[in-house]
Amino acid sequence: MPLSPTNYYGSGLEQGYWGLMIVTYPYISGLVAGSFVVATLSQLFGRKRLAPLAPVAAILSFALLLAAPLTIWGDARQPSRVYELITRMHVPWSPMALFLLIWISYVVLMLVELYAVFRADNAARAEWAERPVRAKIAGLLTLGARSRDRRSLRRDERIVRWTAGIGILIAFLFHGYIGFIFGSMKSRALWSSPMMPVIFIVSAIVSGIALVQVAYFGIAKWNGWKIDREIVSELNMWLIGALLFDFYLDMIELLMSGVRAYAPEETYEWFSRLYFHGPLFWTYFLFQLALGVVVPLVALATRRGRASIVNSGVMAVLVLMGVYMMRWNVVAGGQMASKVTNDIVSYPLVWTGYDSVQTVLGVFGVAFLLFLLFAWIFPWKAGFEGTTEPAVTPPAAGPVPTTPATTSPANQPTPVPSTSLMGVLEDGSAPGLLGATRKRDHSGIQ
Amino acid sequence: MDNPQLSSQVGAKHTVSRRGFLGALTAIAAAAGTAGGWVGRAAATTIKPVARPAAAQMARLLAYYRTRPRWASWLVPELNVNDGWQQWMRTILNSKNLPIAHDNFWRLGTTIAQPHHWAMVIDERRCIGCQACVVACKDENNVPVGVFRTWVDVVETGSMVPDPAGPIVTDAGNFRSEVKRSSMPLICNHCDHPPCVDVCPVKATFKRADGIVMIDYDLCIGCGYCIQACPYNARFFNPIQQTADKCTFCAHRLDRGLLPACVTSCPTHARVFGDRNDPTSEVSVLLATQATTVLKEDLGTDPQVFYIDREQEVYDENSTANTVYPYTANLNSTDYATLSGSTPPPAATGGQG
Repeated sequence: MPLSPTNYYGSGLEQGYWGLMIVTYPYISGLVAGSFVVATLSQLFGRKRLAPLAPVAAILSFALLLAAPLTIWGDARQPSRVYELITRMHVPWSPMALFLLIWISYVVLMLVELYAVFRADNAARAEWAERPVRAKIAGLLTLGARSRDRRSLRRDERIVRWTAGIGILIAFLFHGYIGFIFGSMKSRALWSSPMMPVIFIVSAIVSGIALVQVAYFGIAKWNGWKIDREIVSELNMWLIGALLFDFYLDMIELLMSGVRAYAPEETYEWFSRLYFHGPLFWTYFLFQLALGVVVPLVALATRRGRASIVNSGVMAVLVLMGVYMMRWNVVAGGQMASKVTNDIVSYPLVWTGYDSVQTVLGVFGVAFLLFLLFAWIFPWKAGFEGTTEPAVTPPAAGPVPTTPATTSPANQPTPVPSTSLMGVLEDGSAPGLLGATRKRDHSGIQ
Repeated sequence: MDNPQLSSQVGAKHTVSRRGFLGALTAIAAAAGTAGGWVGRAAATTIKPVARPAAAQMARLLAYYRTRPRWASWLVPELNVNDGWQQWMRTILNSKNLPIAHDNFWRLGTTIAQPHHWAMVIDERRCIGCQACVVACKDENNVPVGVFRTWVDVVETGSMVPDPAGPIVTDAGNFRSEVKRSSMPLICNHCDHPPCVDVCPVKATFKRADGIVMIDYDLCIGCGYCIQACPYNARFFNPIQQTADKCTFCAHRLDRGLLPACVTSCPTHARVFGDRNDPTSEVSVLLATQATTVLKEDLGTDPQVFYIDREQEVYDENSTANTVYPYTANLNSTDYATLSGSTPPPAATGGQG
């Protein structure tokens, strides 16, 4: 062939204009929404066992949220004109114009939530941290509110609950609007569907739970912690529930698009040509449905399977892969279906340069670096270190001697008048949702 | 009165009553003025329908247009260059001064006056597939290599019939050709309800009040949403300027009173361009007298490019039509790979589905 399809602009009349970056954009924003949902499981819905994971999930969500616009920014041909999204915002007619509104409100909400989640721990760290730079940063992050008494902890808890409640709506909006971008396009037979936002949101929850699972294993391995099988089992239960819903929606889509009697003619033709007999057969049936949904459902069906670390890890990775394949099948499949000719538009996988595997890896790398940065900044280890020991220990017993601020000897109560570190009251009771996760008080000191 | 407080109250009372009268007068005047303004605005912007010519006059007009050598025309009288609409500085170079719409396109027919409503009628009986319009468009608009603002699909219907005495010799035996070819000129439909304009996140693309859908290349951020949203694949990324690009009906020529380049260059007068607001224009006469169809009518985009005698639905997967690509082949496609021999042709099946 004189003209290679790897030339992105190609020379044909119809091409896949949205490449890997647009495949990745709904994936990353799905991880944002999904990991936020995991955080709300303990913050809003009272799943106390998952509470140690909530700060990690919130940090993950925030890091991915900041990295998500890089995909669409990198995909735009004129990235220097991005300011027009503010100055010439075409709302509410263009779903894409909603992006900045939703994204900015999400960022603001995440800032409020992160402040409230970590305020008490930051206050503790500002007081007790050994390294002055950490104490300085922690003090700044408290914005001056350093009280750790019962009232301020309850206030934090209330803020977290409110932001979780509003945030889950914004998370669904953030991901639902992306589904709507595809679903609202009547020019594309395979995209134009009212189910699109729902499918996207559910698969986002699936991928978010799997990501938090993988992140939990990763940080436990990194820090040398013992993995709490109860947390793993509970996460797997939520994963199964989301996967079942996802499977249901997949089957609905398969029936409504892949059966000639039920589907519009154009939808059926392209669905069968691409997914049944065409280039997307393996990515759809093997990677998305079989490996991404069915195998995890079976492997996590038994109690032993859910408690197994290896099994859970492998299944979480499979689920993450399956959701990425779902994004690929939607974005690539919709564009492979030609609008005006009879043939399948080729959709080459580009390895380097614009809109390629290289740039996608770069975006994930940025997200990972942001996660590392936030993990360094925020005291998120509070809940985890408490999980290794079941009993509520008096805060003065363990690490307090290491802290320079109090000169009290070991085995003596701390001189803090009514509260102790990390929001645990002196009588050993935890004052609420946040405090329940912080049975060991020294965890804010790192 | 001795009491200063009382006297001030009395004085205040008088003032208040006078102010009330003046206020009421002002309110009534303002209301009347506003209403008058709206009535005047409505009267100024209402399009007065022009009576359609009688049938005999229609026939005469049609015969006149049929014999007229339009492809050599310079100034077209029906475009009326003196109505101020085509002033170059007001339109293409300064499109912000034009009434344009980024959404709510129904306004263009009701509240915004439309001096013209440009439309194209493509007579497929006359198209010979010479691709002169494609070349003329590229020449006129500096369209880069590899992308097209207008193109002509060549549609082949029928099949190759197995025949021992057939002239076409293949490994699978001899065949006799029982096919018919027709050409399908394609162009932006300049829809009256264009989904591509609605979805633009930065209002870079717009619909002019005279019906032309255009792009402001200085505003386009290149997100590709409009390209995806166009059901006719009429938009593309311009590889030189890195923005979306599309047919403009040669707005720069229209604003000077000229016909679009593809219309001027058509040797068989298959492309007819004109003003739907003018009932005596050739387009209006053709639409009134001929059976016309539009592409993908079920999508509700209300295209303004009409086809006479569209024999084949080239978009229909189940039709017996096979698209042939003589010049404007879709090189990024499986069909092209098959034609060029880089992939084997698909095995013959008993039909799809």
